[in-house]
Amino acid sequence: MKKVIEAKHLNKYFYKPVEFHVLKDIDLSIYSGEFAAIVGPSGSGKSTLLYALSSLDREYEGEVLFNDIELKTLTNQKLAYLRNRSIGFIFQFHYLLADFTALDNVMLPGLKLGELPPEELEEKAMQKLDLLGIADQAMKKVNRLSGGQQQRVSIARALINEPRIIFCDEPTGNLDSKNAMVVFDMLKNLTREYDQTILMVTHDDSFSSKTDRQIQLLDGKIIDRETP
Amino acid sequence: MNRFPILKIVLTHLTSRKRQTIVSMLGVTFGITVFIFQAGVITGLQDFFIEKTINSTAHIHIYQDKNQKSPPVLLDVYDADKTWISVPNIKSKEELPKLKRGLQIVEILESYPEVTGVSPSLSTQAILKLGVADISGIINGVNVRKENRLFDLEPDMVSGSIIRLETVNNGIILGSGLAESLGAILNDNITVVSPGGVALQMKVVGILDTGLRDLDNNRAYSSIRNTQKLMNVTGSYITDIKIKLENVERSGTLAREFQSRFGYTAEDWKEANEGIFSVFRIQNIVTYLVIISILLVSGFGIFNILSMMIYEKMNDIAILKSIGYTDVDIRNVFLLEALIIGFIGGLIGLLIGFVLSWITSIIPTNIEGFVSSEYLNINFDPAFYLLALVFGLVATGIAGYLPAKKASKIDPINIIRSQ
Repeated sequence: MKKVIEAKHLNKYFYKPVEFHVLKDIDLSIYSGEFAAIVGPSGSGKSTLLYALSSLDREYEGEVLFNDIELKTLTNQKLAYLRNRSIGFIFQFHYLLADFTALDNVMLPGLKLGELPPEELEEKAMQKLDLLGIADQAMKKVNRLSGGQQQRVSIARALINEPRIIFCDEPTGNLDSKNAMVVFDMLKNLTREYDQTILMVTHDDSFSSKTDRQIQLLDGKIIDRETP
Repeated sequence: MNRFPILKIVLTHLTSRKRQTIVSMLGVTFGITVFIFQAGVITGLQDFFIEKTINSTAHIHIYQDKNQKSPPVLLDVYDADKTWISVPNIKSKEELPKLKRGLQIVEILESYPEVTGVSPSLSTQAILKLGVADISGIINGVNVRKENRLFDLEPDMVSGSIIRLETVNNGIILGSGLAESLGAILNDNITVVSPGGVALQMKVVGILDTGLRDLDNNRAYSSIRNTQKLMNVTGSYITDIKIKLENVERSGTLAREFQSRFGYTAEDWKEANEGIFSVFRIQNIVTYLVIISILLVSGFGIFNILSMMIYEKMNDIAILKSIGYTDVDIRNVFLLEALIIGFIGGLIGLLIGFVLSWITSIIPTNIEGFVSSEYLNINFDPAFYLLALVFGLVATGIAGYLPAKKASKIDPINIIRSQ
């Protein structure tokens, strides 16, 4: 299977307030079509690993290859294009533009990419919202939506440019259990029906156990690796 | 790249923070309003004055400078290199300021294609008497048709007519201030006494109000012949030749040419009004300083508000960057916000400035001073409006660029991690 992301000898240090070795010599590959979860106790470096793999944090030692390209070698311009074209993000706090409608938020990455004319893009964005069951909320400003609805808008946004991979940082962490279940099922559905690659950070075992692969992290090291 | 999302983000930011947007726009508006109003009033006044001055002074004035001292005659006899000559207390030559061959010079000047009008004249101090009132003034002896062609006197006549100077024997036209202090009205008979003791009975045939106080308070016009009678001189005696040119900018060059050709002092109008022009220069510097400091203040206002806005919009910036917007996109968002604030604020400023200037220009002010005028003359030159807008945009552009640059440098990981 094709590797989407590969980390080689990935080390990460924090220097403030004191020097701290967060990620210790991580070797990891995420393959196309995988639904993988990074799990571990808090402080084990789960989110830090996700940020490093997802191009947000490039201050690491070692290598992170995205489609065999080392992220550190990219200029800011190319990095922006990579994020726009090939990466989707879903964060714990839904990170939507509060003053915009749900539809606008979903369209933003597509408008930046500019591959589709706005009318077609809008249609596509509506399809994504429909897929997530919130097409009726499209014209509402996102700050009028519930937490679960907002998180679904951000999933739709992550999907709009059909990225190679979606990174999720505790996507259900800020939701009640019912909504968390809905959102998780939607993510899983994407991997099953649309063969979407997803790498997710979670501390919730009930969700991580339902993924294809759990990457156990403890004190910055991968302690248990199940290969698919 | 598709510009649409950037513009959309900009407009959404501006409209979702209406009060901030309006406050920073007001800063620019105020600056531009003051610019337009102040520049309009100051340059309007200057233009009015220059126009009046050009109309009432000759482009070139030829006369004999009595203060020029001739070199001592001893120099003709002895060689200054070999002999040391000292002549203390050299006095001006006792000589009338007559222009010899004055009337021939006038004829020569009239044949120049660049010269549109030549008016020979002579002037003398005189005491004007009416009843018990006596006022000193200057009598200008002129050929009134020629003088009118140069200085366009007719529209400034408040009563009487210039042509009566030719038809009425011993006619005189008084400056409005002079007439007022004398208590003279049209058709009054007054007595004019020259320093040489010649007294003439003259009839007031007109009153002239040019708006230039100094002239209106002192000057009277009479015919060349009458003035020569007052001065007790012959019919060819003239002291001044005033010249109007087709192109006023050529006055300096031609003045030098006439000076060397005729051997008399030829002064162009800028030289004659040097003092006023230096006042104008200082005035303009002050005006621009005021305008620049106001724009600087509104620039700081925009800088502050944008900096605050960026602080508030940290999340938005992080999101936009994580979904693929470049540093340049982010910079453009905030720069465009500043420029839109500058542009709209500037346009409103232009409008208010224009309305304010227009209202001021129709309110009678009756200024009495250096120049007198019923209304403030205000300059509505479109160049000022363009300049003001450009100034405003540059100021807001600079004020917006710095925070925008800072916003573009924000690394989304710092925002996302801190949540």
